[in-house]
Order: sequence, then structure tokens, then C-alpha cells
Amino acid sequence: MNNIWVIAKNTFKETIRDKIMYGILGFALLFLMSTLFFASISLGEDIKVVKDLGLAGIYIFSIIIAIFLGSSLIYKEIEKRTLYIMLSKPVSTTQFIIGKYLGLLLSLLLNLVLMTAIYLAVVYYEKGGFDTLALWAILLNFLEVSVFIALTVLFSTLTTPLASTIYSIIVLYIGHSLSLVRKAAEKSPEIIRWLADGVYYLFPNLEKFNVRNFIVYSVHPTSAQIIYPLLYSVLLTAILLWLANLLLKKRDL
Amino acid sequence: MIKIENLKKKYFETTVVSDLNLEVKKGTIFGFLGPNGAGKTTAVKMVVGLCQPTEGKVSIDGKGLESLSSREKIGYMPEDPYFYEQLNAHEFLDYMRSLFRKNNRDIDEVLQLVGLKDVKNKNVGAFSKGMKQRLGLAQAIINDPEYLFLDEPLDGLDPIGRLEFKKIFLKLKKEGKTIFFNSHVLSDVEEICDDIGIIHKGKLIYSGSVKSFCKGQPLEKRFVEVITKEISN
Repeated sequence: MNNIWVIAKNTFKETIRDKIMYGILGFALLFLMSTLFFASISLGEDIKVVKDLGLAGIYIFSIIIAIFLGSSLIYKEIEKRTLYIMLSKPVSTTQFIIGKYLGLLLSLLLNLVLMTAIYLAVVYYEKGGFDTLALWAILLNFLEVSVFIALTVLFSTLTTPLASTIYSIIVLYIGHSLSLVRKAAEKSPEIIRWLADGVYYLFPNLEKFNVRNFIVYSVHPTSAQIIYPLLYSVLLTAILLWLANLLLKKRDL
Repeated sequence: MIKIENLKKKYFETTVVSDLNLEVKKGTIFGFLGPNGAGKTTAVKMVVGLCQPTEGKVSIDGKGLESLSSREKIGYMPEDPYFYEQLNAHEFLDYMRSLFRKNNRDIDEVLQLVGLKDVKNKNVGAFSKGMKQRLGLAQAIINDPEYLFLDEPLDGLDPIGRLEFKKIFLKLKKEGKTIFFNSHVLSDVEEICDDIGIIHKGKLIYSGSVKSFCKGQPLEKRFVEVITKEISN
């Protein structure tokens, strides 16, 4: 347990010192502040525009950070052979994978907190009050990103950062389109319905974590809309990290 | 004692290490030699548990390295080591030391020993090759291990650096440590090793004292003779 925490702490230290992250975070904060401009040209829908763009911006930039940092997390360790040093110490692959995952998750949480603070300040400035409802959307955003980090950790044990990034983007797109694909296949021949079902159950359904539209229209998400995604993210994360650990164990270094 | 019994490693149809049998006495310095591609690094990786042998076993003081606790007593330095570039030398060694249950060596003392005390707050990303070699040795000894496995530790060091490293190895030997290392710098091996093992195309062709192997000639000359003879056979 101690080693997991040690690895997580040092991964966190490394990632928050990574210049790529500062670049992405800088853009994110600029984007959030720019929603004020878009609000000013929105013809009376200021608050909705600020919330919509703001929450979308937080989501997009947190996913970008997860993909960019996660896709090289394990790959870098293998290529640069820092993994040799780590695994020659009393550290198991399980501790290593979980520690790296938690470290990246913590740094992403810090980014999310910063972006949330700017978002809340912008909404407050636009006389939208303290948008506590948005915190639910951001929590679910965090759960989705935590699954995504586990996914990029898995990909990074298998392949190069570029390929990991491409696969992650594909999964992101499919994950948000699953319900549409299944619905579109309803009136198709059986084989197509079968395929659609297969894709639906194989890929993570990321749309379950999206309650942004509710928040923009000030509708409180239900308990089911919070609890099921929470359990889903824990289960998916566990499966993905277990697979990553299995692959790393089987690998001859 | 390090005991290697019938160690074999095969990648698909290629045998990289074949029937390796070695015993390394405690408190000695053992040089593991061989031409490029002979299987030295693969053998060391199997010994420290980084890759699974196809056959055979390794034991240190009668115990295998399967359990994590047995790794408390070993230190390993890979060839051409890389580190976490966003950390400085002190932070990196603190990280490494924190992975052990017993934190036996003081970080500043280790940095002083390997000649990095003046740059302890410098980011590892800015280190030269020689500095990285020194840090590689530092992280291998930070837990005060009984057994050290060093893959090409003298690589990239200038003559002064090599002299400093040799002094460190002899100091560690006096402390009762066992050092198992690969090197191509045979003059240094001849100077400090008690015993050597020579591997060629995955097979051990000599194991024993340096003196018995050299027979009054320089180690490098004898090594080239033996390997050339193996190649022509």
C-alpha cells in the first residue's frame, strides 16, 4: 500500500511539472474566460451560453490532458527503461500500475479543480450565482476521465503514444455514440442489430457520464444518474487496470 | 551466495541464454564478460527478476527472488540508465529509498559517494551521460543492498570517473557486499574482480578466478584469444 502511494506521489510531481500540461491548462483557462465574450453576443442567453461552453470546455480539456499524459505513461517507462529500475525494487506490477494511475488521476483532479474555480467565477460574474448544480456535471466529468485514464494506461502498456492517442480518440467517439448507433440499428436486419449490440456492450458507454444538458437547463440530475455512473466507472476502471497489469506482467522486459 | 542453476532463455526459436550455471561467493566482485549480443544483459535481467527464464532458477542466499521482500537485499543498475527527468537527483533518490521498508543509507552520503552532491538539486533531465551513470549507481546502493547487479556501470565514464567507481566497488566489497557486474572495460575488470564468468552465444565458456584465466597475460588478450577460438570452432 505504501509503495502505491509513493509511486502516485512521484507521478503526480512529475506530471504537474510537465510543460505540456501547463500549455493545455493555460488554453483551458483562456477558453473559460472567453465564454464571457460569447455570452455578450448571445442575445439574452448569457448564462446558458457561459454554462454550456464552460462545462463543455472543462470536459474537452480534461479529456485532452488525460489522453496526452496517459498515452505515454507506461510506454515511456518501458522505452526509457525506468521500469527496469522500478521493478527491480520491492515493487509489484500491480502496485506500479495503480500508483501511476492514481498519480495521473490526482494531477488531473488538480486541473479540474482549477478549471472549476474559473468556471464558477465566470458564472458568478455573469450574475448566475454560485452554480452548485454544475458540480454534479463536473463530478461525472471526473468519473469519465478516471475511466479514460485507465484506458490510456492500458493502451500505453501495449503501444506507442501516437497509436494510444488515436485509439483513445476512437473509443471516445464510439463511447459517446453508442446509444445512437443502437437506436439506428433497431430497424435494420438482425445481423446489423447483433453487431450494434456487440459494439454497445464491448465499448464503454461514456454518454452515461454526460449530464451537462441537464445542468445548463438547471435540472437536477437524479440519484440514479449519479450512482450508476459512479459504480460503472469503478467497475470499468478496475477491469482496465487489471488488463493493463496482466499485459505488463506477461511482458518480457 | 548467488546461485544460478541451468538458466535458459528462449525467444521464440532463438536461444539467448543456454544452461547457465554459476556460483558467486558472498563478499566478492564478479565480472560477467562476453562479446556484444552474448546474453549478458538477458542473464542479469533473469537474475534480478525482470524477465522470466524459460528454464532454470536463481537463488540468493538459498531463496528465490519471486517474493518482493527478497528484493530488499538487492540493488540493480541497468545499462545506460534513464530516470524521471522532472525530478532532481535528491528527489529521485528519495523516491527510490521510499520503496524499501528499511531506509538504510543517507541520501546526501550516497550523493557524496558517487560525486553528485554539488548537483543534487539539478533536474535529472539536464544530467550528462557520466552523471546519469553515477546516479544509476546511487539508486542501486541507496537501500544498502547485500547484492549489487550492475550492467555496464563503467560505460560513459571518463578515466577519473572509472577510478572513482572502482574505489566505490572496493569499498563496498570491504563492507561485505557482493558485486556482480558486466563490463567491456577488461582492464578495470582485471584490476578489481575476484572471479569472472565468460559467456559466448548464450553459453558459459569459463567461470573461475581471474588469475587462472589470465595465466600471466593481460585479461583482454586472453579474452580475445578464447572468444576467437570459440568463433572458429
